Amino acid sequence: MSVPPEKTDRELLRRYHERGDLEARERLIEQYLPLVRSLARRYSYRGEQHEDLVQVGCIGLIKAIDRFDIERGVELTTYATPNIIGEIKRHFRDKGWSVRVPRGLQELNVRLSHLLEQLTVQLERSPTIAELAKAADVEEEEVLEALESGQAYATLSLSAPSGGGDESSDLDPLESLGEIEHEYEVSEDRAVLAPGLATLDERERRILHLRFFEGLTQSQIAQQVGISQMHVSRLIRRSLEKLREEIATEQPLNRRAS
Amino acid sequence: MNEHAITLSIPPEKRFHGVARLVVGGLAARLDLSYEHLEDLQLALASVLERDGYLTGPHVTVRLSVNPESVGMVIGPLDSELRSELESEEGDSISLRRLLSTLVETVAVEAGEGGDWLTLDKRVPLKSPAER
Repeated sequence: MSVPPEKTDRELLRRYHERGDLEARERLIEQYLPLVRSLARRYSYRGEQHEDLVQVGCIGLIKAIDRFDIERGVELTTYATPNIIGEIKRHFRDKGWSVRVPRGLQELNVRLSHLLEQLTVQLERSPTIAELAKAADVEEEEVLEALESGQAYATLSLSAPSGGGDESSDLDPLESLGEIEHEYEVSEDRAVLAPGLATLDERERRILHLRFFEGLTQSQIAQQVGISQMHVSRLIRRSLEKLREEIATEQPLNRRAS
Repeated sequence: MNEHAITLSIPPEKRFHGVARLVVGGLAARLDLSYEHLEDLQLALASVLERDGYLTGPHVTVRLSVNPESVGMVIGPLDSELRSELESEEGDSISLRRLLSTLVETVAVEAGEGGDWLTLDKRVPLKSPAER
């Protein structure tokens, strides 16, 4: 007769937590490795090795095993899953920021993003640097530095396919993405046909279209798309960078052809 | 020389672009410009600086000036290709011309020392020095 896995888990957890049995801990790690692999696969980003994410996820699993409270009556799977995902997200966040950007500035950037939203609504216009500084209780120069640090923020790609489908939005460490309004008919947007634009995803094309063809401001776009102004700013910059790269790649070929 | 002018000369390398952006930011803060106006100015500047092919000299100069109702930005020297790109038909692409004309009110190119110089002018609500 086979023993239900949860019973085995509980027994192993008890052996580890009550008697310090490291072999039991090893067995738990091995047992839950498929869960780590499966979660890592969902977050396998372009340029990010699956095995690297498995390693990162394992740290989350080990933390979950070590911190697990056997008296709480929850399953280890339930407790470990958010720990593993949390560790993977932290990895993306830490890797996404330039190593030269101090954490304090990263945090101020996140705070400013929220304050920008609040003040825009409150003042019914875009706030000034002084107003942002006052709201954040910092000097104007710190605001500028934090905004600049946002430029150094380079996630692997917010728009890159995550391989897992619907959870890519969770990977923006700064904020959650809003839902994309799918009623927007990209196929009707002639700009899509322009050179280079094919390299952008639907949301990037939409944002560029709204900004440079419709003339909407960042805050208006933020409202329409359902994401923050700072996120709109980052997406515009990233999309333009992608276009520049694409054009730079195409140009030598065109010159050769002509 | 304009009473309120800042001139910055940087090597034409990406790692120095942030310095130029910070100078624009500093000026915008002094002038009490909105976040959106600052973003427009910084993006216009970045759009030119980041096209490596335009930067021809050993340094690129960015001259910022405060006018009664606008902030001016002169960037140069730049390759003549910039002029032809700005004069080309717009079409459906996000050309430099479309980009700059969305971000600022005036876009002009003039021949100057070492090549072409791009002049951008963005209309902004400016408070009088006494109000700032």
